[in-house]
Amino acid sequence: MTCPFSEYRPLPDGDGTPRAYCAAAEEFVQAMRADICNDRYGLDHATDCEIYRANADGEVGNGNESGDAP
Amino acid sequence: MTYEDYLAGDPVILTAALTGGVHGKEANPNLPETPEEIGRAAAEAEAAGASVVHLHARRPNGERSFSTERFQEIDDAVRRYADDVIIQHSTGGTAAPDDHRARPLRTDPAPEMASLDMGPLNRYDRLTSENTRGLVDDLYDEMRTRGIKPELEVFNDGHLNEVHGLLERRDLSAPVYATLIFGPGTLTRPTPQNFLNSVANLPPGATFNTLGFGRHQLPFATMGVLFGGHVRVGLEDNIYLRRGELAESNAQLVERVAEISERLGRPVATTDQAREILGLSA
Ligand code: SF4
Repeated sequence: MTCPFSEYRPLPDGDGTPRAYCAAAEEFVQAMRADICNDRYGLDHATDCEIYRANADGEVGNGNESGDAP
Repeated sequence: MTYEDYLAGDPVILTAALTGGVHGKEANPNLPETPEEIGRAAAEAEAAGASVVHLHARRPNGERSFSTERFQEIDDAVRRYADDVIIQHSTGGTAAPDDHRARPLRTDPAPEMASLDMGPLNRYDRLTSENTRGLVDDLYDEMRTRGIKPELEVFNDGHLNEVHGLLERRDLSAPVYATLIFGPGTLTRPTPQNFLNSVANLPPGATFNTLGFGRHQLPFATMGVLFGGHVRVGLEDNIYLRRGELAESNAQLVERVAEISERLGRPVATTDQAREILGLSA
């Protein structure tokens, strides 16, 4: 499942192609990081992205994503 | 290659790393991403003095692609716009499955050169680009079968050991061509002392290319010129012309190092000279 923070937006300078944007970091992400955002190549945002791990609490299930007791 | 080669005034091969697979237009809007943009950037870099273009492929939205078809589209565009530049494909790719890594080698015709990462490196906080010996050997074997010259990417001194190991396991044709990479993280720390040590630790007879990341691009390019090596610059490795000022194009970065090289007494290699130095069949 794609990261819940992941969005696609056009660059503000007029490039109309939607690009990976991280709503947690509030910035466009690097081309390579987009692989994590989209869980491509066996990557997983919940384990492989430090930004997700820092922001998951409160945004997506109060840190209970892994199934731990709240 | 040594200071003696500098004194001899041997030509410098300039490689332009046009696009890379990590950052995109979000970092510098002048970075080419589409086949059309990459083709035009290759022609401009060639006109500025580059005889080799190092290429990655991207999806239409700028994200990484490993597909043979996308590399083919890029090569077609490069050949359409550029005169006779040497095409070098990247086989790098953090976290991409091994079978994806060989796909850039399968265009028709094959690229004259391809990169071969010599070992693992860290990315962000939780990712490692593994580059196991098994993968290195497999990629090398496919390059050999297809007549592709490997550019051995040495991100640190441990990778220099791996170059020596590869030479024990495989019969590389001369000259061995290694890119010495300096910068943060897993890379060799960017100091002049480390540069000299890395050069001294290359296998005898090896030819080297010099790559400094970010603000280290210019000083390390200059050291590469002074110590008989070759130089790679481009928006893949550095998006700035100087502190706070984004580079306008790959050609601008190539032009700057071409000027330095000529001023220091080493002419910029023509594509024919580069082919001869690298032992590529014309
Ligand atoms: S994976 Fe990380 S960088 Fe990507 S959208 Fe999620 S939190 Fe942001």
